[in-house]
Amino acid sequence: MTNGYIDIKNTDLMLIMGGNPAECHPCGFKWAIEAKRTRNAKMIVVDPRFTRTASTADLFLQIRAGTDIAFLGGLIRYAIENNRVARDFLANYTNAAFLVQEGFHLPEDGLYSGFDPATQTYDKSTWNYQEGGPTSSTGAAGDPPAAKAEKPAGLPPNVAYDFRLQHPRTVYQLLKKQYSRYTPEMVERITGIPRADFLRAAELFTSIRKDGDMKKVATIIYAVGWTQHTFGTQIIRTAAILQLLLGNVGRAGGGVNALRGHSNIQGATDMAGIFDILPGYLKMPNPATDADFKAYVGRITPKASKPAVWDSFNYWSNTPKFAVSFLKTMYGAQAKMENDWAFHYLPKIDRNYGWVQIWDEMYRGKVKGFFAFGMNGVMIGPDSQKNIDALKKAEWVVVCEIYPDETSEFWCSPGITPEEMKAIPTTVYRLPGAGFAEKDGTFVNSSRWLQWKNAALPPPGQAKVDQEILARVFLKVRELYQKEGGKFPDPILHLAWDYTNPANPSLAEVAKEINGKALADITDPKLAQTIKAGQQLPGFAWLRDDGTTSSGNWLYCGSWTEAGPQMARRGTEDPSGLGIYPNWAWSWPANRRVLYNRASCDLEGKPWDPSRAQVWWAEAAQKWVGNDVPDFNVNSPPKDHMGPFIMNPEGVGRLFVPLGIIADGPFPEHYEPIESPIENPLHPRQSSNPVVKKMATPADKYGTPAQGFNVVCTTYRLTEHYHYWTKNNPVNVELVPEPFVEIPVELAEEMGLRGGERVKVSSARSAYVAKAMVTRRIKPMQIDGKRVYQIGIPIHWGYRGISEDAGRTAKNPANRLTPTVIDPNAFTPEYKGFLVKIEKA
Amino acid sequence: MSASRTIPSAEARAGGILRYTFGERLIHWIAAFSYVYDLVTGLSFWSPYLFLGAAAAGGGPTARFWHPWLGVLFAATMVWMYAMWCGDMATSDADRAWWRARRHYIRNEDEKLPAIGRFNYGQKLFFRVMLWGIVLLLLSGVGLWLTDSIPWSLRWLRYLAILVHVIAALATMAGFIIHVYMGTAMVRGSFTSIVSGEVTPAWARMHHRLWYEQVTRPPSTRK
Amino acid sequence: MSQATLRIQKISGHPGPVPGAGTQRDLQVCKLVDVTTCIGCKACEVACLEWNGLPYATTSFDNTYQTMPETTWNFWNLIKFSEHQQENGTLMWLMRKDQCMHCAEPGCLMACPADGAIVQYDNGIVDFQQANCIGCGYCIAGCPFNIPKFNSHTKKVFKCTLCADRVAEGLEPACIKACPTGCLHFGTKSDMAGLAEARARQLREHSGFANAGVYDPPGVGGTGVIYVLHDAANPEAYGGLPKDPRIPWVVRLWKGPAKWVGNLALAGGLVAAAVHYMRFGPKRAPEDESRKGERP
Repeated sequence: MTNGYIDIKNTDLMLIMGGNPAECHPCGFKWAIEAKRTRNAKMIVVDPRFTRTASTADLFLQIRAGTDIAFLGGLIRYAIENNRVARDFLANYTNAAFLVQEGFHLPEDGLYSGFDPATQTYDKSTWNYQEGGPTSSTGAAGDPPAAKAEKPAGLPPNVAYDFRLQHPRTVYQLLKKQYSRYTPEMVERITGIPRADFLRAAELFTSIRKDGDMKKVATIIYAVGWTQHTFGTQIIRTAAILQLLLGNVGRAGGGVNALRGHSNIQGATDMAGIFDILPGYLKMPNPATDADFKAYVGRITPKASKPAVWDSFNYWSNTPKFAVSFLKTMYGAQAKMENDWAFHYLPKIDRNYGWVQIWDEMYRGKVKGFFAFGMNGVMIGPDSQKNIDALKKAEWVVVCEIYPDETSEFWCSPGITPEEMKAIPTTVYRLPGAGFAEKDGTFVNSSRWLQWKNAALPPPGQAKVDQEILARVFLKVRELYQKEGGKFPDPILHLAWDYTNPANPSLAEVAKEINGKALADITDPKLAQTIKAGQQLPGFAWLRDDGTTSSGNWLYCGSWTEAGPQMARRGTEDPSGLGIYPNWAWSWPANRRVLYNRASCDLEGKPWDPSRAQVWWAEAAQKWVGNDVPDFNVNSPPKDHMGPFIMNPEGVGRLFVPLGIIADGPFPEHYEPIESPIENPLHPRQSSNPVVKKMATPADKYGTPAQGFNVVCTTYRLTEHYHYWTKNNPVNVELVPEPFVEIPVELAEEMGLRGGERVKVSSARSAYVAKAMVTRRIKPMQIDGKRVYQIGIPIHWGYRGISEDAGRTAKNPANRLTPTVIDPNAFTPEYKGFLVKIEKA
Repeated sequence: MSASRTIPSAEARAGGILRYTFGERLIHWIAAFSYVYDLVTGLSFWSPYLFLGAAAAGGGPTARFWHPWLGVLFAATMVWMYAMWCGDMATSDADRAWWRARRHYIRNEDEKLPAIGRFNYGQKLFFRVMLWGIVLLLLSGVGLWLTDSIPWSLRWLRYLAILVHVIAALATMAGFIIHVYMGTAMVRGSFTSIVSGEVTPAWARMHHRLWYEQVTRPPSTRK
Repeated sequence: MSQATLRIQKISGHPGPVPGAGTQRDLQVCKLVDVTTCIGCKACEVACLEWNGLPYATTSFDNTYQTMPETTWNFWNLIKFSEHQQENGTLMWLMRKDQCMHCAEPGCLMACPADGAIVQYDNGIVDFQQANCIGCGYCIAGCPFNIPKFNSHTKKVFKCTLCADRVAEGLEPACIKACPTGCLHFGTKSDMAGLAEARARQLREHSGFANAGVYDPPGVGGTGVIYVLHDAANPEAYGGLPKDPRIPWVVRLWKGPAKWVGNLALAGGLVAAAVHYMRFGPKRAPEDESRKGERP
């Protein structure tokens, strides 16, 4: 979240899409209710189903799964057409005024400039700003010819601009042109939302910027309903554009707010639970470009790119400090300047090692073994049957769990005969793990708070906490390397492992290590303060690139200081009344609660809304101060025009994303899901995302309406269950005992189906059987002139659990149905909006 | 079943006339016990001021447990009695004449009453009150017994059951008070008859002359 | 919980005055359920199960998100889910937390014949004392909300206690504690009524629910659980909340006038028999010549 859960209470308007927070984040949803109750805030909910969240909404619109960009694009068009944009914010805090290179063209035919159909990738060189200075609004005349002569590989340091936003190649004019195609009629054809309903929502959402008034704020709240598409990142980008356009970012009650799907998924992301980053979002080294540390940090450290008259903090320019401190944490004294800080010990990635890719390679026999900790691999990935078949080809699988789960019992999943079982060579090791209440440590929630928790009770029986299991595996591996050598034992042998109890490191010790410490006495001359060697660092501003500091994750630096574990704080003071609670736990970065909060002020540094003052420029002190920690260079006066989005080299928010940081286009474009009931009305010949590649094994099948797959299906969670383990808990099972399929009344009538009867849902991949829940909460839709039904399946049941073991379910995971295609940016599978057919079982 | 079954025993005894066979007496006392138990426990459910009955009957939960079962037992005895006495309980012309002259019966002017058979019309009325009473009590009682099985949509059944049970119980109690009063205090010799089974010929002549004449007639003249 | 810890204002099946009556009165407590902000998450259901240590039940799929059709003896707090099509065609998904309403004039208590099996504490909580319960089920007939539920094994009736044990210690009921959205509130009746009315006004003025209002039915003297409804004119839409709940007239008749008419009739019958005996004496048959000796 750019903001935080509590901050939602400050909003005037909520657009909740791609998420069902009442269902999946009920505790955080309290603040949405609070906003309604205390501010009369309005709530718009857009979802394929009338959800628990919709039950409290002021306006609900039923959308076809996978058409969110069309809807949001329509809102962008409406806001621009009706002049409901935050003019000053837009011109000064976004790249609206930046000029884009000539040669760039918009995807009227579904493709941006530079597409190569053979590789299904873009040459992104035209997706860049134009080099130069101020430009006249009329176009060609003012263009400095130099821009065309030389195309820099990176962003131009001196960007051409037109602050009046009139030049046809300003980002703003391109944006306007891009979304001019997203008319209410087009929105209706694509999304199925009737024109009148769409206009009601558009009027309500943009009403906060009526007559250019900047006081009111709207927030956008989403979850995996946006990410789990082959264009998921672009949906979120569209939301970000909309929020920048309306001046809703950085402000209390605003922002683009991802509600994460697990209690600690934010922590997992921050600590590099993804293959392409290191902790703190440092990019992974690439063997092709990063021959040494210098090349690596040179590549990943951005340089400011802005109009010459503006300033940019470009905070990522500190990347070398973060990288060296990280390497010092990893390899301790073995990381020396002479050996490039042990940079070569780091693994390097040359391609996609994402989730779907791993399983695909296992299916193709290329993965020898697999550790499954804290997740149920068979169940969570798309196409469960492919995953089961993949595990049959692995030599070994290690599963650390608190219940017998589908992954550790893949070899006896339904449909496997005893003869087949005998033929499966995979060795399964089951390790009894500890549950969340049996471990101490931290959760990092969606609000970016690190919250320390204590263990409530010891793990039962032989169960062990994760770090003990991992440490013992590591020590054994290191012992083998010590004894037997190997091709490259150094990264293992030299890994810093200085824990008091090496076989079971305490998490407090690990948390202190992640925070980082001074390795020599270091002094800040401006603060006239010295930190002695061995002391915990108070914040990432202290990190050095000369090897005198360590930090496992620069973003967490400040979470466990000499003053103790900041993440364990439980202060309930809130002097501003904005729900900042600065002494409750610790929020990265630097205990800031709202990111980009400089943008909550106008150009002079005064809050847009004085009743929600977060930070401001204190003229007398010549400093940025406030109720929150300023997310800014506190010494930069407003007249310097330093951009508020300090993590971008431009210093401003990106309406246009240059240089293919996003793989599928600088502006989001509506593409149909890989399996769609219609051709894309915008450009039928390029219906789905051009850079999305389908998997190629025989298991990877994709359906079309022509094959009879004409019902749109989406998957989701229930509030009563948590993923795939509460099915082992009697109370959860009592609340919702059996799996079901939600089916519109009209479809049920066509099928002659009554609630409670069993149905069989089939996709191109597999079938799923459960009881029908016939409901009025999903209505039939008119999509581009075609009647389309949507159905929904909760994901929680598999082949092990109380109801499963009692024979009360068909023992099939919902993900048997879902397709193995992924978003090209975040590598997330398309669990939402695929095609099925449905019949009585 | 009919009065004729009393004859052999009557002849076997010198002096006394057998009014109730052992079977009849036994069933009467089973009925009496079950009715009284349900009366006492029922009254304790009726009013907290009468809860002493339930206390005597084993306490509230115990009383609540046995009350329906003894109701069933009482109903069974009523079925048995009906089968046994339905002939004797038929209304005759003599009964109608007797009923018209009931004022004399109440005022103990029995000599002014017409002769009647084995049971007088008052007894027959009591029998009918108890018979219909138990039908209603049993039906409504099942509703109260298994009250948790009645779905909310049919809750009127529960209310009807209460109403019927109360009215039927009060009606049987009215009959019961008269029955006990007459059988113990008022009609001397009747209590012994339901214990030992015998009455004196004078008693029989006075209260049930037609029956007396029938049972004392020589066997050859009998039907 | 034990009666001894809370003062009582009403007691079932008890002859004579209420023990302890006339002592200082506590504040009437009240639970406010703002149905318009309930998201049906069932945290209250789980909190109720866990605090009260209720054994788990096996449920089955019933074409709804609702856990079970009605509350049961071991499930006292149930959110009722109703898909409600409004006249203008828009859909509402109503979620109402169903539990004992803690009526000011409790029908269960009126119907109960067992001394002290149902009590109403001074703070308004209506509580069942299973130790005193005789298992007759009359409370089931007395309740206009279908709340008391019979356990056929223990022959006792159970329902929500409004966490009388927690409240006696100054804590809020478990369901209130667990509610994530703040749709549940707990406090004094007057505070809750004020809060409810303010919320209903907000719904009327700002959310377009012209019929929004508070459900605090006067037919049972008001309740210790009050609801804010989007449409107070149509409470039945919320999983069958009765529009004008009253103690059934049969129960009122039975436990009111009928009791005294019946008692008088019985007493009258006994008196009449005695008077008759004194006035007319017994009927004696003349001495029988043929009889051999006296029989008792």
